Amino acid sequence: MDFPTIFSITEDEIDLNHLLAKITLSSTGAAAIFTGMVRGETRRGEAHDTEYLVYEAYVPMAEAKMKQVADEIRTRWPVIEGIAIVQRIGKLYPKTPTVLIACTAAHRDTGVFEAARYGIDRLKEIVPIWKKEISPDGEFWVEGDYVPKPGE
Amino acid sequence: MNRVKLLFFATLRDRAGAKSMELEIPADLTVQGLKEKLSAEYPSLKDSMSSVLITINREYAFDETVIPDNAELAMFPPVSGGQGHFPAASGQNSLPD
Repeated sequence: MDFPTIFSITEDEIDLNHLLAKITLSSTGAAAIFTGMVRGETRRGEAHDTEYLVYEAYVPMAEAKMKQVADEIRTRWPVIEGIAIVQRIGKLYPKTPTVLIACTAAHRDTGVFEAARYGIDRLKEIVPIWKKEISPDGEFWVEGDYVPKPGE
Repeated sequence: MNRVKLLFFATLRDRAGAKSMELEIPADLTVQGLKEKLSAEYPSLKDSMSSVLITINREYAFDETVIPDNAELAMFPPVSGGQGHFPAASGQNSLPD
């Protein structure tokens, strides 16, 4: 299987066009891309403003777990052609993309949307990355609530 | 005795006051045993031990897991790379999934 899989932790700007080119094959006709960015003004739940976020990762494990997420996507959606998963770390200001997952396939009705959705959801469960929020009210680490199971 | 390296991330690093430490531990020590040992020796970590995640050689580990010699251990809170909850400290108003 020589479908391209890209996964990385970076301090550099996420370059969508570059990544998309790498996961586009001659048989590719569709890409589903999710990107998450720093939200400066949160309205849902407890409304608050964010000055910036500081992301950190346990880099070697995070990259291994990104590879695992990609493997899980391929098991569930064997038609997926290319997969790119990139997390930007460091100090990031509102409007800045922090994470990107893109999946490509021959056609859009192949599950490619669901595959990208699965990827971002799994990333948030098992890939060791944390963010510290700096707001006008102070700073605090944001903690998730997912506890991995044996084998994850 | 086994020799291991322990890495701390996020809140655990703040509470430990260090990015990592080297430890000598009994050869049959489990993850649960390590949590108890750290709680006793480092009171600042005690409150974190009920919710902390622990990895051994970059895989998630569980209370009954025996820690091998020369292991790379890490301790950290549940991950928050994507969207998460507004601080647990200031409200129970967490976002819906």
